[in-house]
Amino acid sequence: MVEILKELEERFQVSDLVQQKDHLAFVSVDKNKAIPMITWLKDQAGYTSLTLITAVDWLEDGKFQLTYMINNPKNKTQIAARVMIDRENATMESAHHLWESVRIYQRELKEMFGIDFPGSPGVDESFILEGWVDIPPYRRDFDTKKYSEETYFPRPGRQSNDPAEYMKSKMYPNE
Amino acid sequence: MSIKDLLTPFTAWKRITKDPVTIRDPFNDRPGAERYRGFHKNDVNKCIGCGTCEDICENEAIDMVPFKDPISGDSGLRPRLDYGRCCWCALCVDVCTTNSLTLSNEYTWVTVDPEDFRYTPGVDKKAWDDNEKGWKKPEGNYEFYNINRVEMHHLHPEDRDKSFVEMVKGYSREQAIAEADRCVECGICTATCPAHMGIPEYIKAVRHEDMEEGLRILYETNPLPEICGRICTHKCETVCSIGHKGDPLSIRWLKRYIADNVSSDKYKEILNTIDLSNNHKKVAIIGSGPAGLSAAHYLALMGYQCTIFEQYEKAGGMMRYGIPEYRLPYDSIDKDIDYILSLGVDIKYNARIGIDITLEQLNKDYDAVFAGTGLHLGRSTGIPGSDNEHVYYATDLLRQITAGEEIEVTDQIVVIGGGNVAMDITRSLARMQNQKFGKVNIITTALEREKNLPADLEEVVESREEGAVINPGWAPQSIEIENGRPVGLHVIKCNSLFDDSGRFNPQCDITKKEFFRGSMIVQSIGQGMDLSYVSEDFKKDLEFGPRGRVQTNAHFQTSVKWFFMGGDIIEGPDVIHGIANGHKAAIGIDNYIQGIDFAPAK
Ligand code: SF4
Ligand code: SF4
Repeated sequence: MVEILKELEERFQVSDLVQQKDHLAFVSVDKNKAIPMITWLKDQAGYTSLTLITAVDWLEDGKFQLTYMINNPKNKTQIAARVMIDRENATMESAHHLWESVRIYQRELKEMFGIDFPGSPGVDESFILEGWVDIPPYRRDFDTKKYSEETYFPRPGRQSNDPAEYMKSKMYPNE
Repeated sequence: MSIKDLLTPFTAWKRITKDPVTIRDPFNDRPGAERYRGFHKNDVNKCIGCGTCEDICENEAIDMVPFKDPISGDSGLRPRLDYGRCCWCALCVDVCTTNSLTLSNEYTWVTVDPEDFRYTPGVDKKAWDDNEKGWKKPEGNYEFYNINRVEMHHLHPEDRDKSFVEMVKGYSREQAIAEADRCVECGICTATCPAHMGIPEYIKAVRHEDMEEGLRILYETNPLPEICGRICTHKCETVCSIGHKGDPLSIRWLKRYIADNVSSDKYKEILNTIDLSNNHKKVAIIGSGPAGLSAAHYLALMGYQCTIFEQYEKAGGMMRYGIPEYRLPYDSIDKDIDYILSLGVDIKYNARIGIDITLEQLNKDYDAVFAGTGLHLGRSTGIPGSDNEHVYYATDLLRQITAGEEIEVTDQIVVIGGGNVAMDITRSLARMQNQKFGKVNIITTALEREKNLPADLEEVVESREEGAVINPGWAPQSIEIENGRPVGLHVIKCNSLFDDSGRFNPQCDITKKEFFRGSMIVQSIGQGMDLSYVSEDFKKDLEFGPRGRVQTNAHFQTSVKWFFMGGDIIEGPDVIHGIANGHKAAIGIDNYIQGIDFAPAK
């Protein structure tokens, strides 16, 4: 994989190269060079298959990380391209024209993280969360527990005990 | 309701003519994958009911329900699952403080009653209880909290064995926060602390860097935090749930961190004790050890005018005169005591009850009396030679060292005893030998075997680091005297201390003998109480228990209603029991003075 990584460095100035396994490497690429790089990999370098697109919320840094993982079926190697985008008004150039399945990933990312991909077909339609009104649930500032408490009702008869309180009531009730 | 809502159920119909995408196979089992996350299992004998699994569950699928009566270190509760909510994320398994909770790889379960899907794993028997496959927290891979404690910096043995400088440095801000961050706030420890301190609450205050709140929490149950933050026997740490997979929280050092980081001139403001009410009732307190000080503190808060009678020149009792300075510096003792005195508590030094003033007189002058006179009379081994003038009691020597009196230190010393007091005198004498002779030559021997030594492990380890020889498992037989001074101690091997029925009945092997050379012998085999301040007449009214202890009720009231007693003389011995006793006695005295009667002493 050394040659292809070298080439990516020269052509697209990728950084933070990590060769995770013999056939899997991670690279970081600037937001505006990401889609050209992926297009080049697909059209020129044999990386014709999309494995997945996913995101990580780096809340403290105010960033989302998008990861595009693509595969070369001939030599069985994978490249994962990491792209950092601003968390505020998160937007990324769409890649739906490259693979049919991309619009599905992008629709999911829009719903779960609130990352927009303008021009991606159906990106605003709900994906699995029909009628969702809260902030996107994969954002780390989404409070899952609070949501559970407010949305779901405990089954009748459920009751819990605080360990310290319970021990006091049984072991030293009068102190 | 919109038209969409009405039609949605029917959208499924559009697939009615399509082939199913699932495959029907009624003949073969389809077991979950090796590490599939299926139904929960819990080893209920390993689980301690800390409730951390309940806390982490984002879906509120877990309740803590009674399983058995709580004991120290085990709340007796066990997690109960509600599969109406569980999403099988396994966070509960990964955080479990004891690794008792796991998931089987079983994932099919059919029942008609939805209530069945709430069950207590390990308690309600299930078919997958013995299923070895499924999800367990991978070992050594990741932890949700740091299992290692933040190391406390100690002076190196070479730097400390000549001086009485405090050897434990205390946490820095970063260290304290990192240590506090390990607490899962289960509160299991609170029941084990004799004073039932709000441990997770004050640890939380450290984490949030709110020292004022921390101090308030400490003083709710413990008015001697500088002292306890250094020398408490920290029973709480033995039950800390984090200790099951790693090191328990450094609860004691975190307490010290709070007290060390609030300056004494802020105490009254923070603790809201600038203007205390005065109810014009008076209480006399005998002894200024932990019990007496604690009683005085809580009584002062309730408006009582307290007077402490202290037989020595300074306050603190055993904390000052028994514990060496390198473990508990005098500044720290003074900080705690000065604050209590600043609440309007009066103290009379060099005042001996029975000599300077009688108990009977105290009864006339005060509305109630509390005695926390402790155990400070050294006990003798009674072996031949033990009456020689160069055979000492540890408690006497420790007191003399504190008072700055000259004591005998020879170049070869034998200490008899295996408790913390024995380690204290060993280490103090080792320091003095080092100062005087440039080397340590001291043997400390005890009846108990190594693993049963009553002293804290760290005391034993540090004594050895400082050059003392700790050689346990020997019964002292006689002290050999030549020309009027000891030359050594004869001992025989001691195999066990208690018989099958648990009675103290040492079994020794007289064929295994040893002779420990020493020109000075120190006995430290326990302390007795000194009731010489109580007149014979008065003693007739006091009820005594089987082992000569004065009987008290839950409020530490004796059979003489105006006379309360607490601390080592009743329960312990240690500082924290004294504090707890003093606190309860203060409440008891308040009730008594207000005319509320309790059950008699028993
Ligand atoms: S976290 Fe583990 S030890 Fe604690 S209650 Fe839950 S199952 Fe028991
Ligand atoms: S100190 Fe340990 S036992 Fe106490 S609340 Fe924290 S984790 Fe639980």
